[in-house]
Amino acid sequence: MPMVLLECDQDIPERERHIYFKAPGEDSRDYLPAANAPTIPGTLSERGCSFCGAKLVIGGVLKDTIQMIHGPLGCAYDTWHTKRYPSDNGHFQLKYSWSTDMKESHIVFGGEKRLEKCMHEAFDAMPEIKRMVVYTTCPTALIGDDVKAVVKKVTAARPDVDIFTVECPGFAGVSQSKGHHVLNIGWVSEKVGTVEPEITSEYTINFIGDYNIQGDTDVLQRYWDRLGIQVIAHFTGNSTYDACRSMHRAKLNVVNCARSAGYIANELKRLYGIPRLDIDSWGFNYMAEAIRKVASFFGLEEKAEELIAEETAKWKPRLDWYKERLQGKKMAIWTGGPRLWHWTKAVEDDLGVEVVAMSSKFGHEEDFEKVIARGRNGTYYIDDPNELEFFEIMDKAKPDIIFTGPRVGDLVKKLHIPYVNGHAYHNGPYMGFEGFVNMARDMYNATHNPLFRLAAIDIRDDRALLVEEAA
Amino acid sequence: MGSKVDDLFGYVQERCLWQFHSRTWDRSENIDGIIGKAIDLLAGREPAADTPADRCFVADAKVMVADFRSRFPWIKEADEAEITQLLGGLRDRLTDLAITRSRNHELTHTLY
Repeated sequence: MPMVLLECDQDIPERERHIYFKAPGEDSRDYLPAANAPTIPGTLSERGCSFCGAKLVIGGVLKDTIQMIHGPLGCAYDTWHTKRYPSDNGHFQLKYSWSTDMKESHIVFGGEKRLEKCMHEAFDAMPEIKRMVVYTTCPTALIGDDVKAVVKKVTAARPDVDIFTVECPGFAGVSQSKGHHVLNIGWVSEKVGTVEPEITSEYTINFIGDYNIQGDTDVLQRYWDRLGIQVIAHFTGNSTYDACRSMHRAKLNVVNCARSAGYIANELKRLYGIPRLDIDSWGFNYMAEAIRKVASFFGLEEKAEELIAEETAKWKPRLDWYKERLQGKKMAIWTGGPRLWHWTKAVEDDLGVEVVAMSSKFGHEEDFEKVIARGRNGTYYIDDPNELEFFEIMDKAKPDIIFTGPRVGDLVKKLHIPYVNGHAYHNGPYMGFEGFVNMARDMYNATHNPLFRLAAIDIRDDRALLVEEAA
Repeated sequence: MGSKVDDLFGYVQERCLWQFHSRTWDRSENIDGIIGKAIDLLAGREPAADTPADRCFVADAKVMVADFRSRFPWIKEADEAEITQLLGGLRDRLTDLAITRSRNHELTHTLY
């Protein structure tokens, strides 16, 4: 019974195609959860919208760019600073949010004039900023505002600015994944190749699909610096708009998040002949392998071994301390897509933790191919889960800790199971050698936190009964 | 021979990502390219690294071959004919899994 119809899904049997239970002896080629498919009516999805995929995940990370969101205020607020990606210029991109604040009258009479006015206002208010990304949202796409025409007018009036348009309203695709796609393809088609970078090393890479969550990029940047490798562009952690315009000059594309940014790596390979090297940046062994691969491409193997030896000597004893205490813990990964396959083997090999359930909100079938290849037998693999499925799977898999986002995290609290923010981290960075120690520390702190047990005790009663079901 | 190919296949499935790139042609290029370089390395030859794509295949192959040698000591004893046969078997298994019988519906889409 590799594909699973849960009890809670009896009225929506279509969900069976999306839930896989890996069992020994089965041929995994025969089963693959359906993914990147429309959410089935009747199920309450945890997915985000396509606009969010473009803005919150990729575009909004740029540290020197106004993010003009053409739509109602909520679209701007809800994609602002909920993911913690700092920058080395004072976190400009986290401090501000920009919106055309569309109201009913603008919907009725059209929002183009308002957009034009807002764009000028934003540039006037921040005269040092010369770059902007403009996003359409559901209402402004539906009323047919011609955003590109407005951008053309503003650019003509302000020759010193450069503006990129993302026409990906929330309804454009089945999940945030569509937003990743639209931004990637739009960027490589319109912007890459329009700026020439200053080349300071004969070893140049783009580091693609890393968004500097709590400083991930900084950790990796230190490694590249020590190897003498110049990063032409981070796509898009701690990055600038113009750095990402010069991606065509790198000799190698190093890809971390293949789901959100594999598209641009593929296009850079097709258009400019830059090869794509996929790596895992989470996990001790994976990180060492990644450094070895990148270094090998440039013939820097000796430097790489020195770096790995130094980092291992510094961080491995701490990792092992946590491993001893986390051995045998069961973990659920309830995140977006790629972290399933990045993490499952890393936590198993480096920390002795067993991943017993994994769900993906926006992963494609490719992501399930990867995670089923890497994941354990006896583990659930779920596409686009709903809340009832979450509770049922938790009851079956009985994890000791759950990595997920704040929304599902609130459900987790009701189960009195420790939760760690799998999207924006608790106390990151989590990438690299030191990052994986941070991740182990957060897992240890969460699983050994007495509050979860204490919170389940009803102190009104003399007998201090455990609350079996708080939900 | 079969169980040795199983070992190599299991390793690639757990540790590598290149067999699962976006489209059939990417997967095919990677599988052929990296296995080809790995055969050279295991046979004691310096693999050709004239193009950026070649260098990328070599980078992946080097890590894989180092792990093969440390995890599967029998591979050090294999002669070139056996290496070619083993890695040919690995290539066939990967092609079957990731291309021929893959249930991924996006694999043949002409656009990325």
